[in-house]
Amino acid sequence: MIQIRELSHHFKLGKKDQKVILPVLKDITMEVGKGEIVSVVGKSGSGKSTLLNLISGFIRPTEGDIWIDGVQVSELSEAKFADFRLKHIGFIFQSFQLIPSMTAYQNIELPLILKGEDEKKRQEKVIRLMEKVGLGDFKDHYPSELSGGQQQRVSIARALVLEPTLILADEPTGSLDSETEAEILEIIQKLNRELGITFLIITHDEEVAQTGHRTISIKDGRVMKGGAAI
Amino acid sequence: MKLKDKYRFIRQNIKKNKARTFMTILATAMGCAFLIVLASIGYGLQQSVVKETLEDQVVTEIQVHGKEVENGFEAMTVADIEKLEKVDHVKAVTRKIQLGQLPTYTIDGYKAETMAVSTHFPSEIASGLKLAEGRLPENPNEVVVGYHFSNTLYMETDEDIYDAETGEVKEEFQFKGEVKDQTITMTVQQDEEGKVTKEIPLKIVGVLEEPGREWMLNQDVYISQEVFHQIEAFTGTAGGEIVVDPENKVTGHLETFDQVNVYAESLESVQGIVDTLDEENYATYSIVSEMKQINTLFTIAKAGLILVGTIALIIASIGIYNTMTMAVTERAPDIGIMKAIGANPKTIKQIFLLESSYIGVIGAIIGTIVAYATSVVVNIGLPLILETAFDEEMPEGLQFSAIPWSLVLIAVTICLVITILSGMRPAKRATQIDVLKAMRREI
Ligand SMILES: Nc1ncnc2c1ncn2[C@@H]1O[C@H](COP(=O)(O)OP(=O)(O)O)[C@@H](O)[C@H]1O
Ligand SMILES: [Mg+2]
Repeated sequence: MIQIRELSHHFKLGKKDQKVILPVLKDITMEVGKGEIVSVVGKSGSGKSTLLNLISGFIRPTEGDIWIDGVQVSELSEAKFADFRLKHIGFIFQSFQLIPSMTAYQNIELPLILKGEDEKKRQEKVIRLMEKVGLGDFKDHYPSELSGGQQQRVSIARALVLEPTLILADEPTGSLDSETEAEILEIIQKLNRELGITFLIITHDEEVAQTGHRTISIKDGRVMKGGAAI
Repeated sequence: MKLKDKYRFIRQNIKKNKARTFMTILATAMGCAFLIVLASIGYGLQQSVVKETLEDQVVTEIQVHGKEVENGFEAMTVADIEKLEKVDHVKAVTRKIQLGQLPTYTIDGYKAETMAVSTHFPSEIASGLKLAEGRLPENPNEVVVGYHFSNTLYMETDEDIYDAETGEVKEEFQFKGEVKDQTITMTVQQDEEGKVTKEIPLKIVGVLEEPGREWMLNQDVYISQEVFHQIEAFTGTAGGEIVVDPENKVTGHLETFDQVNVYAESLESVQGIVDTLDEENYATYSIVSEMKQINTLFTIAKAGLILVGTIALIIASIGIYNTMTMAVTERAPDIGIMKAIGANPKTIKQIFLLESSYIGVIGAIIGTIVAYATSVVVNIGLPLILETAFDEEMPEGLQFSAIPWSLVLIAVTICLVITILSGMRPAKRATQIDVLKAMRREI
């Protein structure tokens, strides 16, 4: 599903004349197979989020290549990458990233609108998904009117609505209490089991990492273990 | 993303900031209305001037003043007339010769002093000359007179006939009867001293139609060529001239014409005839050529007014730029999220361009409505104001402001182009928003 070859990334800091280069990822080679749940663990600041942002196309790698589903995404233009994201990848963020002026329903509907689906089809899908993640009664609630767990369910529903083959999750339970965390992790496992969706989950929590089939650990920007697919 | 959904999006966005959007639309509407009203003055005055000039004027008439030669002008001769008559699409060529002296005319106790003109009636008839009453002359001693001829007749008396205040002939001395079918006596002089005179009895058989414009007077007496020749024979000078330098005295018949008019078959053929005559070096004047000049002048004026109006719209566009920039900044986190889940930069750009065009379209619509209302008020109000201020009556049907469809089209197009252009940069900025920064709420 995901292949990463000799990926390196550094950030340029400071002003023009006195630039400081901050190397974050060094020579990363790893793989995520179809249908896997892979956890990426590592201490805070080890470069996990940067790795995920590179895979997502939010930033571009200094060196190396990334393939998703056989497509060399690291070569795609910004617009093409956006289309690719819309069609193939679902996202779950630590801070949910819901649009506050839109209701739960509208947030979940957004990817369908962007794809250009017609209204009837949208309604069917959104309603079905809301029932599935247990938000049937919260259609017209705004994010600010929902609990953290509920918000994360909205964001999971949004990630699922275009039926992606891959979901990228950066600390999906980082803002939730342990009870809610367990619920969310259960949903993830269920989606993997029932729909065969591949998950790449970033966490600094060993317990969360246990949900995955496999763990890749990163330290100081290098893969310490678990880079290869099973 | 469907257009309908984009539209729904911007509707939601606008709803979130009604006041700001409203003010921006207002500024745009004002700019648009200003442009239209300003330019409409140009259109209105042009319409009034053109209408005024064309009204009751013989639009197919081409006046030929003479022939340009190396150093000056040559008067029109019989040969010229024959040549003009052969030009394509010429309906008639009228020619008039003025008598070289001012004769007096008397009708039982009333007297007039006015120009005598020899004219070629067949061509006048062909050109469409119309009589107010009576008929055209059929024999040499019959004449027709201008519409205002009777006004020049006054009683022969020793009293002061002029009104001291108005300078006009007093009511009681004016001629009040009909001139048609009257016999008048025309008196011409043989020389400047006027000791020897000749009396020619003439019968008025017709009166010409009133000239097209109020300020035009036609008091002339149209005599036959025979009478004209009689006078020439009597004075022994060409044209019946009496004030002549004895050394340069020309005898015989006058061979040139004072006033030659060519009449085209139709309005469309006027310009072609004018062009042909210009090639032949004839000096011409036609209302059609004058219209061309007037229209050119007004086109320049209108372009200038539209330009000034456009400046108002450009000022309004600063408001749009500001509004859109603020909208982009406010919505940066949302845009970041949308980009993260896969919104194409093009889609985001389109949404913002659509929003600024929306402001432009609504502004243009409101502006056009306001402009129409203003135009009506100006057309009714301005003449009233000017009439009170200058104590002078405005000409009937004078239109200050006119808004043709083309002007609306021009204004709306300018308005849309400017609003879209001013929304361009903010829209581009929206596409460049950094996803990670936006999601961290750093913008
Ligand atoms: N946009 C950025 N500019 C500069 N430095 C960054 C940027 N993003 C992350 N970093 C740095 O890269 C390193 C890795 O960060 P990150 O990938 O967020 O770590 P993790 O998610 O494992 O906590 C940190 O030292 C962080 O300060
Ligand atoms: Mg992180």
